Amino acid sequence: MIAYLLNLATLATVFGILAASLNLLIGYAGIFSIAHAVFFGIGAYTGAQLAILFIPDVLLACLAGGVLAGALSLCLALPALRVRGEYFVAASLGLQMMAVTLFSEAHSLTGGHGGLVGIPMPTLFGIDISEPATFLVFCLLVLGGVLLAIRMLMRGSFGRALMAIRDSESAAEAFGKDVPRLKTLAVGLGCTLAGVAGALFAFYMAFVNVESFTLEQSILVMAMVIIGGTATLAGPLVGVLLLLLLPAALSFLPFIPPTQIGAVQQLIYGGAMTLLMIFRPAGLAGQSTGRR
Amino acid sequence: MTDLPLSVRGLNKKFGGLTAVQDVDLDLQAGICTALVGPNGAGKTTIFNLITGNIPPDAGEVLVNGKPVRGMVPHRIARMGVARSFQDLRLFGRMSVRDNVLAAIEHSAWLWQPGGGAARRAREAAVDAALDRTGLTALADARAADLAYAERKFLSMARILATGGRIWLLDEPASGLDPHSRARFVSLVRSAVADGVTICLIEHNLDIVTELATRIAFLDRGAKLAEGEPQAILRDPELIGIYFGERRT
Repeated sequence: MIAYLLNLATLATVFGILAASLNLLIGYAGIFSIAHAVFFGIGAYTGAQLAILFIPDVLLACLAGGVLAGALSLCLALPALRVRGEYFVAASLGLQMMAVTLFSEAHSLTGGHGGLVGIPMPTLFGIDISEPATFLVFCLLVLGGVLLAIRMLMRGSFGRALMAIRDSESAAEAFGKDVPRLKTLAVGLGCTLAGVAGALFAFYMAFVNVESFTLEQSILVMAMVIIGGTATLAGPLVGVLLLLLLPAALSFLPFIPPTQIGAVQQLIYGGAMTLLMIFRPAGLAGQSTGRR
Repeated sequence: MTDLPLSVRGLNKKFGGLTAVQDVDLDLQAGICTALVGPNGAGKTTIFNLITGNIPPDAGEVLVNGKPVRGMVPHRIARMGVARSFQDLRLFGRMSVRDNVLAAIEHSAWLWQPGGGAARRAREAAVDAALDRTGLTALADARAADLAYAERKFLSMARILATGGRIWLLDEPASGLDPHSRARFVSLVRSAVADGVTICLIEHNLDIVTELATRIAFLDRGAKLAEGEPQAILRDPELIGIYFGERRT
């Protein structure tokens, strides 16, 4: 039972980093990307290859995964600079579909559909941290660092600039904001953090393949952010806990046959999303929209 | 360097087959308020959008302090001291009143602003002064979207005030204001003019135009028909006829 809970907690922590990184784009900058799983994947493949070919140091893997995902996020930033709103969503969808094909076909880098297997146990400065509780502590420290960095940035001028662009791009420009550059920075930062989450995911699973980086994964992470509450620190974490732990919780209910858990889960998700958008569109942890 | 803070020469803009602005010349003289007056669809807001770089002109030139700005992106023109308001305000609705004003004066597109603590304190002082002059100090922590209509209008003015810009383009800033708020608005603009700010005002309320403007440029269907002192323009029966809906041929 403890091993099961540790597994859930570690996955929730990794997805917490991923959702927090997407919140930077959706919640603060107003950039609706449905290609976030791509950068999660780039981080995972980079971390896995580094561990397999060179050294299984988890810190190095996080750095490499983050840097490569951040650098390649320019592929997403370029359309973000040129198009607005729904056009960007379509552009990111195109990138997501293209990336899945590349992940599936670039066998030498990704292992194709079979994925990369035999990822070594994670170490930190040569010390083995593969024991589940130790690895969870490391993931929690990374999550804490990520949340602290986001909090500091979003309370400063960078956060105000992104939120100004989110609320009115033309007014932000009229007040001297270099919108393309700020959007590029936001995309770069968000995708770097997604890459870090990916590297942790690769070590934890000890195996990665394209199934973890599909459009469904991007939509799941987006749902975590929106249901939890955009533009808040706690929102993405609430969303992760809800969407990741709900399937696990349902499996403990004796009156739901195991074969029906999937269907019940879909009904609950669908109903919750509908009710949430009607009664609390800012998400569970979001600001209510009352007027004084 | 020229004496004119802002000049427009031969400005033209068509949207498909519709001529929105046609051969408009306009000089904003330093330290006075010039009003753009004309019926709906005269091209007044389009001229603002052409000046600020939001839309590119088909022909013509815009000079800010004698420097051509055609082709420049809006944020670069804004940093030359051109501040504008919008008809629909375009506040940063989910941000606080204070953050709305602060965001308007933080120009660095990096993770932080240059200048350290001294620059930060100067920005905060500018925000405090702007909130004080617009009567919004007590609402500094309120969310912009939660403000009453008049307070939103004054917040849009506070953002402009804080920038320290010397050229203001105000697009219907007093529309929908109650008499008390309108008097406050007039007083605010007068004090800015007294401080030497150059203002271009689009306003449908001719009483406010008369109170504030030293010059009026009258536009109709994208063309400037007349320019002069308010008494001369507003007593011209042909122009007033056009303004109130009698179409010219």
